[in-house]
Parts: sequence; C-alpha cells; structure tokens
Amino acid sequence: MEPSGSVATQPRPPMPLVMVNAINKSFGGVRALRDVNLEVRAGEVHALLGENGAGKSTLIKILSGVHAYDSGAIEIAGKPVAFDSPAKSREAGIAVVYQDLSLVESLSVADNLLLGREPRARFGFVRKRELMAQAGAFLAQLGIPLDIKATVGSLPFAYRQMTEIAKALMGEVRLLILDEPTSSLTSDEVRILFDAIGKVTRRGVGVIYVTHRLNEVFEISQRVTVLRDGANAGTFVTADTDMRRLVNAIVGSDRMAPAMPRAEMHATRCFESSPVLSLSNACNDRLRAVDLSVLKGEIHGLAGLIGSGRTEILEALFGLRSVESGTLEIDGRRWLPKNPADAIEQGIALVPEDRHVQGLVLDHSIERNVTLSRLSYFSRWGWMQQRAAIRRAEIAIDKLAVKAQGASSLVRTLSGGNQQKVVFGKWNDPRPRVLLLDEPTVGVDVGAREEIYGVIRQAVRDGTGVLVVSSDLVELIELCDRISVIVDGRVARTLVRGEIDDAEQLHHLLQVLQASDQGAFQEPPA
Amino acid sequence: MTELTASNIVAAPTRSDRRRKLLQKLLRGERPYMLYIAFLILLVVFSLSSPWFLSVENFLNIGRQTTLVSIIAVGMTFVIVARQIDLSVASTLALSGMAAALAMSHVNNSWVVGAVAGLGTGALVGLLNGILTTQLSIPSFLVTLGTLSMARGLAMMVTNTKPVIITNETYFAIFGEGTFLGMPVPIAWTLAAMIVGVLLLHYNVFGRRIYAVGGNPTAALYSGINTKWVTTSAFVLTGTLAGLAALVLSARSHAARPDVVQGMELDVIAAVILGGCSLFGGRGYILGTLFGSLIIGTLNNGLVLLGVSSPMQLVIKGAIIVAAVAFTKR
Repeated sequence: MEPSGSVATQPRPPMPLVMVNAINKSFGGVRALRDVNLEVRAGEVHALLGENGAGKSTLIKILSGVHAYDSGAIEIAGKPVAFDSPAKSREAGIAVVYQDLSLVESLSVADNLLLGREPRARFGFVRKRELMAQAGAFLAQLGIPLDIKATVGSLPFAYRQMTEIAKALMGEVRLLILDEPTSSLTSDEVRILFDAIGKVTRRGVGVIYVTHRLNEVFEISQRVTVLRDGANAGTFVTADTDMRRLVNAIVGSDRMAPAMPRAEMHATRCFESSPVLSLSNACNDRLRAVDLSVLKGEIHGLAGLIGSGRTEILEALFGLRSVESGTLEIDGRRWLPKNPADAIEQGIALVPEDRHVQGLVLDHSIERNVTLSRLSYFSRWGWMQQRAAIRRAEIAIDKLAVKAQGASSLVRTLSGGNQQKVVFGKWNDPRPRVLLLDEPTVGVDVGAREEIYGVIRQAVRDGTGVLVVSSDLVELIELCDRISVIVDGRVARTLVRGEIDDAEQLHHLLQVLQASDQGAFQEPPA
Repeated sequence: MTELTASNIVAAPTRSDRRRKLLQKLLRGERPYMLYIAFLILLVVFSLSSPWFLSVENFLNIGRQTTLVSIIAVGMTFVIVARQIDLSVASTLALSGMAAALAMSHVNNSWVVGAVAGLGTGALVGLLNGILTTQLSIPSFLVTLGTLSMARGLAMMVTNTKPVIITNETYFAIFGEGTFLGMPVPIAWTLAAMIVGVLLLHYNVFGRRIYAVGGNPTAALYSGINTKWVTTSAFVLTGTLAGLAALVLSARSHAARPDVVQGMELDVIAAVILGGCSLFGGRGYILGTLFGSLIIGTLNNGLVLLGVSSPMQLVIKGAIIVAAVAFTKR
C-alpha cells in the first residue's frame, strides 16, 4: 500500500467542481437552511461541520436529490443542474455513502458492487466470471484491498464501509459524500478508510466529509465549511485554522453565555441532596463499567460522540437493554429493570432520541399519545375514563404551550417542537423520579427549545432527577449541574458546573478524552 | 414560559375550510362514511334488479348468512388494527366445531362441555398464533398460513374426515335455532360479539393498547406497553370468536364437519378492510367492520339472486378487496 493519510494539496485550477449558491429550505414552518453556500473543488476533501440540527444532513439530502430546495442554485463544473430524485443526482455524478449502509449482506462484495448492472448473457443469465473480473479490476484500480468473494455480512465494519464507498464510485462519480463514516470504526479501521479516501481524491473526485471529530478534519481535509443554525458560519483552509476557531464557528460566540447565576444557586442546593439513581460498575455489550449518579433535583448531562454509549446508558436504565453485571440503585434500593413497563412503574421516564419512531404514534391524536404511558391513571377496572383522558391532554397542551387546535389534533400535523412537547407531556404528571432525555431539542426551533428548557427546569424544581444526553454542548452547559463525558461505553470524566464554562472548552475536552482513549491520535493543536 | 400564549389560540376555520374538511372526511376520513354510502348503493342496485331482494325474509337470510363472517370479523379487527393478520380463522372454526361435537359425544352429551371445548380450542389456536408471532418474531402472515393448514389437517384427522352428528337440543336452541328477544340466536350472538368488540376496542384500556401497538409498535414499547402480550391477546380473541362461530354453525347443521367454510378467511379479511381498517395498523372501527361484513353478505346474496356463477362471485369479491385496500392506502 502506498503511504497516505494527509493528502498533498495539488495546485488545481480554481474552477470549482460543485457550487451550491444561496440554497434555502424550510420544513413546515422551520427554516432548515438559509442562503447556504458551499464550494467543492476536484480532488479536494472538504469537511462539513456543525452541531446536530445545523443543517448538514438537509444539505446532503438536497445534493443527493432526496429533498427539493425552495430557492437557490446548484452548479456542477460550471453548469447549472436541477435534480428532483436521487437517480438524477446520481446521473449528475454525485454519490452518497450514508451511515446506515445499503448493502445486501448475503451477497459477495463483487455481487454488491455490480448489483443491478451485472454483465449478462442471453436470457438474463449473469456472467459470473466476467462479473468477478470487472469487480476485481475496479477495486485494483482504486487500490482498495477487499476480497471480492467475501460475503458482505461476514466483513468487519470498515470493510463493509469500503465496499459501500467502492460501490458508490462505480460509474461516473465526480463528488463523493461521506456522512460520518468513522462513527463506528476502530482507529485501525479509520486508517484504512483514510487511505481509500486518499486514493479516490487522487483521481480527481471531490469529497464532502461530514464528521463530528475535529481531529479528523485536520488529518484529512483541505478545507472546512461550518454550518450553524442552518446558515454558513465560515469556510476555512484547514492548514490556516485551528481547533479553537473551528469550535467557535460551530458553537457560535453569541450562544456562549449560559445563565450562570441561576445555576450556581442551583448547584449548591443539589449537592446536599441524595442520589435518586446510581449506577455502579454497570457492564453489558456496549457499556464498560459505568459509574454514574443522578441527584434529586439535579440535571446531569452526558456528553460524548455519537456511538460512545450515551444512548445505551439511558436504554439500560429504561429496561430496553439488559445490564449484565454491576448494580443500579433507585432511591437507595437495588433494582434492575426488566422492561420499560417495569422502569415506568419505578418512576423512570424516557424521552427518546427519535420522536417519530420511538416517541409518538404520529397518526393518533395528542390525547391518545399523552395518555399512552399512563393508561392505568385514566381507567377504572380497565375501562377508559375518556373525559379524564381528554382533560389531562388539554392540561398538558396548556402547560407545555403546545400549539394545536385541540386534544384531538393528530400529532403528525404538529411542528417538530410541538411534537417534542407532546412527548414531554407523556411524562408530565405524575412527575417521574428520574427523567431520561435523549437529544431533547433536536429538530426543534429556537423558541420551542427555550420552552422545553423551561419544562425540564420545572421538573427539577419538583424534585425529579434528570439525565440528559445531548450533542449540543451549549445546551449541556446551559442546563446541567454536572456533565459526564462518555468515551467508548465508560464515564471518562465528570465535571461539576464551574469547572468548565463554555462549549468550546467542553468540545476540546471531548476531543482530548476521545483521543487519549483511542491512543491513536495526538492531542490536536489547541 | 409555560403559560398560555396568544399564539396558542388558533384561528377558527373558515367556511370553505369546513366544507373541504367535510368532503375529506366523507371520502377517506377516519370513520368510514363512504362505506355506508356504498352499502346503500348496493341495496338500491340489488332491489332494482331483483324482485326477491327487498323482503324481510331475504334480509333475515342475509343476516344469517353473514353471521359467521361478522362474528370472526370482530376479532379480526383487533388483529388487523394491531398490524397483524390471521389467515387461520376458517380452519380454526372447523377444528373448534369438531372439538365441540366430539367433546359432547364423549362427555354426557352436555352442551356446556361442547361450548367450552369449542371456544377453548379456538382460543388455543389463537394463543399458538400469538406466541409464534411474538416470541419467535415470525410474521403473522406466515405463522397463520401454517396454522391454517395444521388446524384443517387436525380437524380432518380426528374422525378420518367423517362428520360428527350432534343431538343435544339445548345446544341447537342456544347457538343455532332458537330466538332471543325476537331475534334468531345467530344474529343475537353476532350482536353480542359486536357489542363486546365495541366496548373492548373503543372503551377499554385494551383497545388503546391495540391501537398503539398497531400505530407504532416501538413507541408503544417505549410507553411501557407489553406489546407481545397485547398482540397475543388479539389472536386469542379472534380464535375464541372463531370457536363461537363454530358453535353457531354446528348447532345450525346438527353436525360438525371438518371441511366446512374453506376460504372464509377471505370474506372475513375483506369485511374488515372494507370496514375501514388500515392494513398498516392503528386504524379501524368495529361498526365499520359490521357494515363491511354486511356488504360482503349482501354481495354474496345479491349476486346469487342475479344468477352470477359462484366462480364469478369469487372474482368480483377479490377485485373489491383490492379496490378497498387501494382506497384506504395513504
């Protein structure tokens, strides 16, 4: 294999490969993208950064033809293009590799590469030998070390991902989009992937590289574009910038001032109280000896990269994932949840990460959704007390300021923020002992975000302990009394409010802890 | 922050808005108004084309003929709202009938024993369907395709395909030939099943759970609902109602036959789908199911009166199911 990694920037004519000009996109009332620009050159790795909800995935979906945009223009090699379907985008030479792979696991690498365009003999029979030869030649040309006969399902994740990338590159590809390709790779696998990317760019393909890991940006990209709240927050030449500046662009200096006075007063109070929930030495397939406690009236944050095990901790507490060893105590009693019903009975509540899939029945009314988790409160001998249920839903709509016509409105018709408030409404009354929140404000507009913070703070004032997972570090700093940093299924560090006071520092700490855990990366330049 | 804000109050809908909403409701709304209209049209068409159609005698006939389908369709509504399907109901009916008749002939010729054996057998087949579907995560389509064959085979095996004669007069009176409040008992049993269905699905916590499991199984699980138990219960209910239908049929014909009602699952599923249930789960009404099975029954009856051949009837019914699904699909 050739030495690679940091690809030398070749002097190329400034003619951009892909130009995205002033793209606007709204979903319902929420503006996802505002006048976003992006320029990618041939042979360049262009990193795309931003917090969750900053608009990265919307932009990618527009480039790949999944979403249509409201206004703006896209040019490829100087020619304006318009695509209304993924097929058209593909025709224009744009290939996307998503996090969730789109391979047929039961077929071989070669079969997958040529899926749908197999060399055929008469009557549609596949010329197997020719197929193997074509696939082998293609991989050799790319310089990707893959066994073409191996079944995809039996390959380690990095190699599956490379198969996916190779597949994406079949045919005429000018722009390759990689959406967080390393989030579930080991450091060795990351090396292999970076080698493959280097080989691709040397053929003149432009790469958009979406990631949360800043150290990778410095390792592989030539330029960086940062999105924040659906707008451009800066484009940098990687060699001329540093991590601090990037973090500033990602987080935004205007959101750097958390409400400190309230928090300090709050902090002193909560450390006198007892833990409502404590987890010690908890292990399972994803957790490695987690030690964690949530105090009564405390907001405890879990920070970490995607795939670090934050969500898995919540799932274990809610009975969705078994704990193999270690102990869990709730209000001082040892107990392990068997299933969500069991956890709910103990006063544990979960606002899950994906409200459409896990939190709500979209085609049902607000009333049905809000009462679903508390059915026993609205029934006598199994018979629904319909009026009590409706009243409860109306109270929830009122208290959480859900903008809806009434309790019988279908949840599908509400905006993201209001849908999320309905999910909160499921647990509003009676107050849970422990409230688990997984990315509570993703896809929620700024106004609703503030209202949701209000709801969380009210719950804490009533004595609930809150454990919140968030990729929005500003959110964690603004909300939390303590923050635990999770790295690879383990609590790497727990910070008390005051130890760290802006998102930039926290972001930096996250990267450092991650890097020192993997041992593969040097501490990035500060 | 949590107070009621002005933007919270939504403007009242305008008149044209309301008219559009009404039209939407009629065409593909939650409650199957289209269905009632279709039923009326069907009545008018058949009345005009056959002089025998519009008579009390014929309507009682339709009622009796739809009994079996209607009773089982109540259970099938639960299964389909829970995003499952049960293809085994006709075979379950045959097996339950055999079990009831054999139990009676072996134990004191007691109608109670017969009823318990019939209902119990149906419930057991339902339990098997539910457990295989939920515990082994096999799609219910395949599970019940298997039990369809197994139950029918068992029903034929127990007597080597011979029918079993029933002689208990009380049994005939209770399930087949008597009257209750002036109604023939099969119709009374149908109404009873419907009422229980309405109460369970629309007024009981169980119904809420069924809707949630069918509407979004993951969200139901995350809300603390034992989705496996709820799904299994729907199958048990359907099996039990297939058992009840078996009692009605065997009491009417004074015998249980292992080869009865082959292919009836088609009518039952058609009734439920026509009634406005979504095959994608989470939507459906018992009242709709009643009208669905009335349409199927009227269609069967009317087509016979019009002299349509029975193979042609199958073609027409099949086409109607496909059309109904095409309409209910979003």
